[in-house]
Amino acid sequence: MKPKLNLHFFLALGAALIAGYALYAAMDWPFRTGLFPRMIAVPLLVLALVEMGLSAFSTEKQREGHAVDFELTTDLDPSVARQRTLAIIGWILGFFILILLVGFPVGIPLFVFSYLKLGGKERWGLALVLTVLSWIVMEGLFDQLLHIPFPEGWIQSLFE
Amino acid sequence: MAEAFVAGFLAVLQWKTFSFMLIGIAVGFWVGLLPGIGGLTTLALMLPFIYDMTPVEAFAFLLGMHSVTATTGDITSILFGVPGEGSAAATILDGHAMAKKGEAGRALGAALMSSLVGAIIGAFALAISIPIIRPLVLIFGAPELFMLAVMGISFISSLSGQGGRAMIRGFLGGLLGLLIALVGLDPQAAIERFTLGQLYLWEGVAIVPLIIGLFAMPEIIDLAVRGTSIAGELPQANLRSGVLEGVKDTFRHFWLTVRCSLAGTFIGIMPGLGGSVAQWIAYGHAAQSARNATERSGFGKGDVRGVLGPGAANNSKEGGSLIPTVAFGIPGSAAMAILLGAFLIQGLRPGLDMLDKHLVLTFSMVWTMVIANVITVAVSLLFLNQLAKLTTVRGTILIPFILFLAFIGAFTEHNHIGDLITLLVFGGVGYLMVRCGWPRAPLVLGFVLGEIAETNFYISTTRYGLSWLYHPVVLTLMVLTVIFIVYPHLRFYLKQVENEPIA
Repeated sequence: MKPKLNLHFFLALGAALIAGYALYAAMDWPFRTGLFPRMIAVPLLVLALVEMGLSAFSTEKQREGHAVDFELTTDLDPSVARQRTLAIIGWILGFFILILLVGFPVGIPLFVFSYLKLGGKERWGLALVLTVLSWIVMEGLFDQLLHIPFPEGWIQSLFE
Repeated sequence: MAEAFVAGFLAVLQWKTFSFMLIGIAVGFWVGLLPGIGGLTTLALMLPFIYDMTPVEAFAFLLGMHSVTATTGDITSILFGVPGEGSAAATILDGHAMAKKGEAGRALGAALMSSLVGAIIGAFALAISIPIIRPLVLIFGAPELFMLAVMGISFISSLSGQGGRAMIRGFLGGLLGLLIALVGLDPQAAIERFTLGQLYLWEGVAIVPLIIGLFAMPEIIDLAVRGTSIAGELPQANLRSGVLEGVKDTFRHFWLTVRCSLAGTFIGIMPGLGGSVAQWIAYGHAAQSARNATERSGFGKGDVRGVLGPGAANNSKEGGSLIPTVAFGIPGSAAMAILLGAFLIQGLRPGLDMLDKHLVLTFSMVWTMVIANVITVAVSLLFLNQLAKLTTVRGTILIPFILFLAFIGAFTEHNHIGDLITLLVFGGVGYLMVRCGWPRAPLVLGFVLGEIAETNFYISTTRYGLSWLYHPVVLTLMVLTVIFIVYPHLRFYLKQVENEPIA
């Protein structure tokens, strides 16, 4: 039978690699430091290998069981779902990069406005009102009132 | 004793004490609601304000604040899938799923009412258990605490994955959580473990970014993919009528709420186990209460019992954790360690004095927790319908704000960019786990219990060798672990055999 190399298989492979790395790293540690990590990594490796095997070769869908957890939406055309998934992942990573570049106080209103206007195609008025609101919460609550020490963005530090 | 009980109640109702409690409640309400501000930090920040207060006023202020953060922390978990407090994550699984089904009002009503029941049970457990708690706490040494951790992880891993491979995935999640908890400096020898050479990881993986990443990110991605509001295109009538329905649900499943409250109280008593553990254990118990496989398959998809259990336990554990703090000066949680500072500021010594000379003060703490929660629930119920309407706002408007809260919430853990990287990494892990049907609850519980399990395992083996394995409580917990794992599956199997037609 030809093995199925799907996402399930690769997730289990990831878990197996983490367990393998844990066992390898623990080799250099004193006995007591490495004992507990080994106790965890061995069953993790065994179970991950079992899951890998089952993901690759099992064909019985009903034996999969189900997780007590939420499930992603499935009632959309897969290509649309894939496209939207990639888009939102792009926005999330973009948000992170924006914070690195310009810091939280500038990055947050900028992101809120960009997402509302470009991602959500919202009206100008609404986008501007919500952007100002996000700026007020950011500046008023988190910066001025709670004094959270937000680091400067890379761009600001270039001009210092 | 009865006189002190009444005197404690009257002491809280003094206008000045009551006013301080109301201020505490107002602060705690918003702290719980906003993911960016931790209840623990705020409790610590409020300590300097109590210097000029009397002990009753000081504890009314601090406990009033602390006991409502757990209650309001559930609100953002349900509405947006972003926990207001790290210990409010378990409510997301079914609470947010209910919000997506257009039942946000019902979920909020259930969470708040069960929180109130939990708080009352926890508070009265404190009142009645003080004379009898000493032997129970002393029975639980390092071996017993280690076994308790093992039992908790096995329990949730077994229950989170229903049938066949899902159970393997449950245990994989639990073990991964345990391994992630070991990142950082080894507490015994201070040797770096899995830190990838990063100073940021010396303290271990930060819990808030991990939880927000695991739970909020997959929800945000799903909301964007659906392209609708959180509640989708469902009828709006559910939102208005739901709050009362949620309140009724608490009484429909009253014994479940009581059992989960008692579990929360017990976990609160055990030093170091903490609020997240209480919520997840209660969630596991709620899932176990399902009568059959079909009923259990509804958990994680919007079963109100998955909201009631964690809601009750999260609040009852506060009363529980006060027990060892007041009676022995052993803080039951990090919050109680801060509260211990309040005892010192007020010139009080926890222990026998609190059960004798200062008994009125001890009972005033009990009443503060009850009254603060009653006020919070009453105030919240007034505008829950309006809060529930947020689930009908377009996703495109909500997403930037949820991301804003998630990023700020994660960042405030250590005020370090590493917190945001942790958020993104575990956001990715959470999304993959959901896509592949791996339950996320065992990973969180494994992570929370990892350090406790290792430390107690180390102490047990150093102190007792292997003989700790024969301690009566350890053996009892082992048997219970096996029963917890095997029983639901055995019952499921027997039901299947019963239903099979005779050939």
